[in-house]
Amino acid sequence: MSRAARLGAFIIATLAILAAGVFLIGSNQYLFTPTYRLKAQFATVVGLDPGAEVRVGGVHSGSVRSIELPNKPDGKITVLMDLQRSTHNIIKRDSVAAIETEGLLGNEYVSISFGSPQAPNVKEDDTIVSEPPLVIADLMKKADGILDTSQEALNNVTVVTANLSSISGKINHGQGTIGALVNDKKIYTQLDQTTAGLRDTVNHAQVGVVAFQENMEAMKQNFLLRGFFKNRGYEDSSELAKNEITQLPQTAPLKTFTFESKLLFDKVDTAKPKNQKSLRAAGQFLADTEFGVAVVVVSTGTTGDAQKDLVLTQARAMVVRDYLVSNFSFDDAQLKTLGLGKGKSANPDSSWGTVEIIVYPVDTELQQTSSTSP
Amino acid sequence: MMSPDTRIPRRWTSLDAGQAALPMPSTLVSVWSVINHFLEWFGDLGLFAWQVMRAAVRRPFEGRELIRQLDELGSKSLPLVALAGAAIGAVLSLESRSSLVRFGAKSMLPAALVYSIIHETGPIVTGLVVSGRVGAGIGAELGSMKVTEQIDAIEASGVNPYKFLAFTRIVACILMLPLLTLAADFCGVLFGWIAETLVEPVSFLRFINQGFAGASFSDFLAPTLRTAVFGLIIGMIGCFQGMRTKGGTAGVGFSATSSVVLSSLFVILADVILVKFILVFFP
Repeated sequence: MSRAARLGAFIIATLAILAAGVFLIGSNQYLFTPTYRLKAQFATVVGLDPGAEVRVGGVHSGSVRSIELPNKPDGKITVLMDLQRSTHNIIKRDSVAAIETEGLLGNEYVSISFGSPQAPNVKEDDTIVSEPPLVIADLMKKADGILDTSQEALNNVTVVTANLSSISGKINHGQGTIGALVNDKKIYTQLDQTTAGLRDTVNHAQVGVVAFQENMEAMKQNFLLRGFFKNRGYEDSSELAKNEITQLPQTAPLKTFTFESKLLFDKVDTAKPKNQKSLRAAGQFLADTEFGVAVVVVSTGTTGDAQKDLVLTQARAMVVRDYLVSNFSFDDAQLKTLGLGKGKSANPDSSWGTVEIIVYPVDTELQQTSSTSP
Repeated sequence: MMSPDTRIPRRWTSLDAGQAALPMPSTLVSVWSVINHFLEWFGDLGLFAWQVMRAAVRRPFEGRELIRQLDELGSKSLPLVALAGAAIGAVLSLESRSSLVRFGAKSMLPAALVYSIIHETGPIVTGLVVSGRVGAGIGAELGSMKVTEQIDAIEASGVNPYKFLAFTRIVACILMLPLLTLAADFCGVLFGWIAETLVEPVSFLRFINQGFAGASFSDFLAPTLRTAVFGLIIGMIGCFQGMRTKGGTAGVGFSATSSVVLSSLFVILADVILVKFILVFFP
C-alpha cells in the first residue's frame, strides 16, 4: 500500500467515525428529520434540560429545543419542542404536555398525550395546554403533613378507646341509663308493652284514613261540591300527567286532526267538555287504523297566566284522551298526551287555543315518557 | 549538649554574627539562574514559533513533505492509539460497572462510558500516547539532524528548515490529532461494549443508542477538536527541542526525553485550561 493510499484510508475511516457520531447525536435531536415546533408553558420545569426527550404516548418522538425564562415575575417558563412530523396526526389542540421523570430519580422528559379526534390540528409554534409537574419535594411535604395528621388522629382514637372502655365497663355493671336498659329485665317488658300499644294505634289510624278517603269521595259527588269538579272538567289533578310525554316523536305523522278548543270546551279557562262528539272522526280513525303512537296535543291562546295555562292544557289533553279511550276501542297505552301551555297553538289567532290529535305510524319510538312529573 | 554554631551553617546565622547584610548570595544566584533559564526557554519558544509562522506564509508550501509527515505521524500512530483507546474503554466499562451496580444505576453504564470516553478519556489518552510516540520521534530525528549539521546543510541549499522540517510536522500533528482521537473514541466505545456484553449481553445498537441518548454536539465535537491544540503543543515542543539540540549523541538523547516530558506535561496543563474554556463557551 502506498503512503498516500494508507493516509487516505486512515482519513476516510476516521472521518466516517466523525460522521457516524454527528449523525447519531443529530438524529437523537431530530436534526435530520422533518419536524415542527410546539410550545408549552409551565410554572416550573423541575430540572428539564434542553435536548431532553419528548414522548408521545410513551414513544420517543421529539426533543426539547430550548427553555425560556419569562420576562415578568408572573409569567411562565416556555418550553420549545421539536416534534417528528409523523406525530402531527396524533397531537391535537387539546393534547396535554406534562413533565415526567423516568422512575423516581431518572431523567426528566416531556410527555404529550393524544388529542381527541374531533379537536383541530396543531400548527407550527402553537402553544398546547400543560399540567403542572409532580415535584417530589412537594409530595414529601404533603406526606409529612398527612403523617402528622394521622398521628393526631391516632392519639384521638386512643383517648376515645379509653372512654369507650370506661363506658362499657359502667354498662356492664348496670350503672347509668343504658346500664339499666341492658341489665334490667323490667324495662324490656315495659318497652314490649308500649310497642304493642303503638301497633294498635297505627292500625286504628289506618282504618281512620280509609274512612276519610271514602268521605272525601262522597263529598266530591255531593251537590254542593259537584259543581266545582264538573266545571273544572276533571276530578283528580294527580293524574294530569299520567300519560304525558315530554316531546313529540321525530317521525313524520300519519295523520293530524286539529280542533278548535272553543268547540270542545265549555269555557275559555276550564277543561269541562262541551261538544265531544266532534272528536268522533279522530276516534274512529284510531279504532280503524294500525298506528304506533297517537298524541293529544293541547295548547291555549296567548292570554292568561302561563303556569295555569300549562295545567289547563294538560287537563284538556287528559279529558280528550279519557273520552277517546272510553268511547273507541284501541290500545290505550298507545295514546299519549302533551300539554304545551300558553301561546304555542298551531293557530295563533285562536284565543281559546287548539286541540290536535297527531297519529304516528307503527314503529314510532318515543324518546322519553314522563309519568312522574305532576 | 552541642553548641548550635557547630550544627547550623555559618551563612544562616550571618546576621547574628553581625556581618554585612548580603544573605545567601550563592542560593539567590542559583534560583535566579533557574528562573532565567525558564524565561529564556519560553522566549526562545516564542521566537521559534514566530520563525515558523513567518516561514509558513511564504511559498513553496512543501506539500509532498506534509503528506509524508501526515502519514508518519497520523496513520502510523493509529494502531497504538486504537489499542490504547480499546484498553481504556474495556477498563472503564469493567470498573464503572462494579461501582454503578453498587449504586443501583447499572442502566446508566452506556451513557457513563460514552460520556467519559468522548469527553475526556479519549482526547487525553490520544494526546499522551501521541506525545510519547511522535514527540520522541520528532525530538530525536531533528536533534540528530542538528548535531550532524544536516539542518545547516538544508539551510545552505536555500530551503527554509523552519518550513520544511518544523511547519510540516506541526501542521501534521494539528490535523491528525482530532482524527486519531475519533479512532480512540470509537475503539474505546466498541471495546467498552464488548466488555459489557461479555458480562451481560446487550445489542451494540441498544448500547450505542443508550450511550448517545443525552449527548449533544458540544459533548462530541468540542472535546474532539480541542485535541488540535494538543497537536500544536506536541509538534511545536518536539520541533523546538529537536532544533535547539546541543552537543553530540547525548544531546540527541536529552532532546528526545525532554520533548516527550515537556509535551506530555503541557498537554495535561492545556487540557485543564481547555476543559474550563469549553465549559464556558459550550455549557
